[in-house]
Amino acid sequence: MKRILAQCTKELAQFRRDRLTLALAFILPVMTLFIFGFAIRLEAKNIAIVVQDFDRSNLSRRYTEGLYQTNQFVPAQWSGDDPMQDALDRGIAKAAVIIPPDFSRGIAAGKTSQLQVLIDGTDVNNARVIKNSIQAFTRSFLQDQNLMSGTSKITPRLRLWFNPGRRESLYIVPGVFGVILAIYPSLLAALAMSREKEQGTILQAYASSISAAELLLGKCLAYLVVGIGQAIFVIGLGCAIFRIWFVGDPSPFLIGTGIFLIASIMFGLLIGVRANNRSVAVQGVATAGFLLALLLSGFIYPLSNIPFPLSLVTNIVPARYFIEISRDAFVRGTGWEGVWVAQVCLVVLAFVLFNIARRILGRMQLPG
Amino acid sequence: MKLLRRLIESRFWALTVKEIGQILRNKQLIFLLVFPPTIQLLIFGLALNPDVQNLKLGVVDYSNTPMSRELVSALTANGVFRVDRAPPNEQILGEQVRRGEIITGLVIPPTFNRDLKSDHPAEVQVLIDAVDANTAGIASGYAAQIINHFSQQLAPQNQAPIETQVTILYNPGLISSWFIVPGVLGLVLNLGSSLVSTSAIVREKDTGTLEQLLMTPAAAWEIILAKVVPLFVLLLGEVMLAVTVATLVFHVPFRGNFFLFMGFSGLYICVGIGIGFLLATVSRSQQQAILTSFFINLPLIQLSGAIAPIESMPRFFQILSLFNPLRHYVKVVRGVLLKGNGLEVLYPEAIALTAFAVALLAISTYKFRTQLS
Repeated sequence: MKRILAQCTKELAQFRRDRLTLALAFILPVMTLFIFGFAIRLEAKNIAIVVQDFDRSNLSRRYTEGLYQTNQFVPAQWSGDDPMQDALDRGIAKAAVIIPPDFSRGIAAGKTSQLQVLIDGTDVNNARVIKNSIQAFTRSFLQDQNLMSGTSKITPRLRLWFNPGRRESLYIVPGVFGVILAIYPSLLAALAMSREKEQGTILQAYASSISAAELLLGKCLAYLVVGIGQAIFVIGLGCAIFRIWFVGDPSPFLIGTGIFLIASIMFGLLIGVRANNRSVAVQGVATAGFLLALLLSGFIYPLSNIPFPLSLVTNIVPARYFIEISRDAFVRGTGWEGVWVAQVCLVVLAFVLFNIARRILGRMQLPG
Repeated sequence: MKLLRRLIESRFWALTVKEIGQILRNKQLIFLLVFPPTIQLLIFGLALNPDVQNLKLGVVDYSNTPMSRELVSALTANGVFRVDRAPPNEQILGEQVRRGEIITGLVIPPTFNRDLKSDHPAEVQVLIDAVDANTAGIASGYAAQIINHFSQQLAPQNQAPIETQVTILYNPGLISSWFIVPGVLGLVLNLGSSLVSTSAIVREKDTGTLEQLLMTPAAAWEIILAKVVPLFVLLLGEVMLAVTVATLVFHVPFRGNFFLFMGFSGLYICVGIGIGFLLATVSRSQQQAILTSFFINLPLIQLSGAIAPIESMPRFFQILSLFNPLRHYVKVVRGVLLKGNGLEVLYPEAIALTAFAVALLAISTYKFRTQLS
């Protein structure tokens, strides 16, 4: 225990003295919070569309105006006569609505008028959003204009739970906490471990009586202190800027954060033990950390969309469990009952990572 | 012929040959150019999938009549929803949504069938877990559409006077990888070109061979150009590899002109090499270079539209992204591959990328020269 604490104090002293790393430890996470928190939005607002009105009747004009009043679409400036070539191909507009010349006459005569809608499918997600909203608008337009009996036989009562306003920041920001705390604490830990190897000071540790487990635990403790500092800083700032707060019992989140920090520090130490110099260590954490925490953690799109062999990998990504805990704390609010499994998984992962690192480090040490 | 001889006998040629030799001997560099891009393309393409499909649906059917069962099968017919469980009452259904076991819930009231037969509108309740705001939005749109469609079929005389005929262009099947993979292609090229060029210079700095180069009569531009040319050729190879993966594995269409695409890629490689050189000149060691590249590449990638669309970012970031060369390149890749755009559409991007390439290479050469003297 004494040796662990000594190792921890030594590591913290070194960390404090290294100005560049100290700055990186706090500036990089904040930068990530800002960019991810603000810039990752999946659903487009103010989508530019063009309406080609061949009918030019009162009805078609009302339709066009109504479309822009949904607050989802804005008219795009374009010139030409082929909306596909002149607006969609050029990327000026994301969708085109073409109102045929006999639009209002046909409706007056009791016939069905065909409204043509062209949608740019390059952005798959928003193509779906646009398609849904144009169809929903058309239906409500028909009812508003008394063209269709307002009372359909079945009325769906839609209720959105947990996030009724569908604020996307509520989904993204708790996930960003997970990505940040997966990458930066492990980056620092990997740097510390590989520095000892690069500068050869690890040999002194080998020669001394400290064991591999004690060395790892000492470093882990030191960076746990740093990581808790980062966590308080980033999560506090994130809550203040994006106006989110705990919706239920915060204790699973607080404990989960501690366990998750240990898991990601262990991951960093493991990479540090494997890498021979700091550049390799940084690259290892950056590549593996970003790929795992960003792509295989359910941060952007639901985990259930990941196809089979790859979906197995998601089970060993600590960030995945933490993001689950974090979203529960800030949006869902079920508390321990909902997230205890994730907590257990995090403990297991942290322990496994520690053991692998200890094995590798132990192998390098002289026996006895 | 004479020109060729002069080229071969020039100092520049000798330096280039030295660089090529160094690159070919550096197994790590070749590995760096082949392995990570392929893995990144594969993982991004497979993992980032915005499909709204197979959402777990819990059904509480108090009515339990043929009509209510038909409504359930209408909801599940096109694969958006999938019945996962049928809890006995609303409380349990709510509990299951709360625990995240199911994403959506449907409650059909006991009076459903009776209401349908009378003039009374029948109400059904649809619960959607909106933690994932994006998926919830699309799912609720689908649910409303399907139920409306179903109720319209019940009263066929009541035909809708307007029918919307939706045509999805460029990606009619809405295959998600067709959006992500071209974006990641830009990302991969950006990472590859900046990383490789940084390490080419920093390595010489670290080992001190840069001073030796400086002692030779070679001019700064000759040293730099000799470094650029072989990297340029290598990175063009990386582009080809990435395009091959995109078209063979993900079946992304290549609708535009291949040479136009390679021309743009060449421009972007110059931009990437410029970024890399700039990084190398400002940092003192390889470790510092890699850490600073974090600072540069993270915003470049996130504000490029490769992962999340630019249109959905706040205004400020949209304007900021105009100063991001990667944004322009990603637009070009999507434009050429999916839309078959030609230069008449992409000329603004061509101008922007040329400006970035010239500016970055000029600044880094200048900084390099001042460091040399």
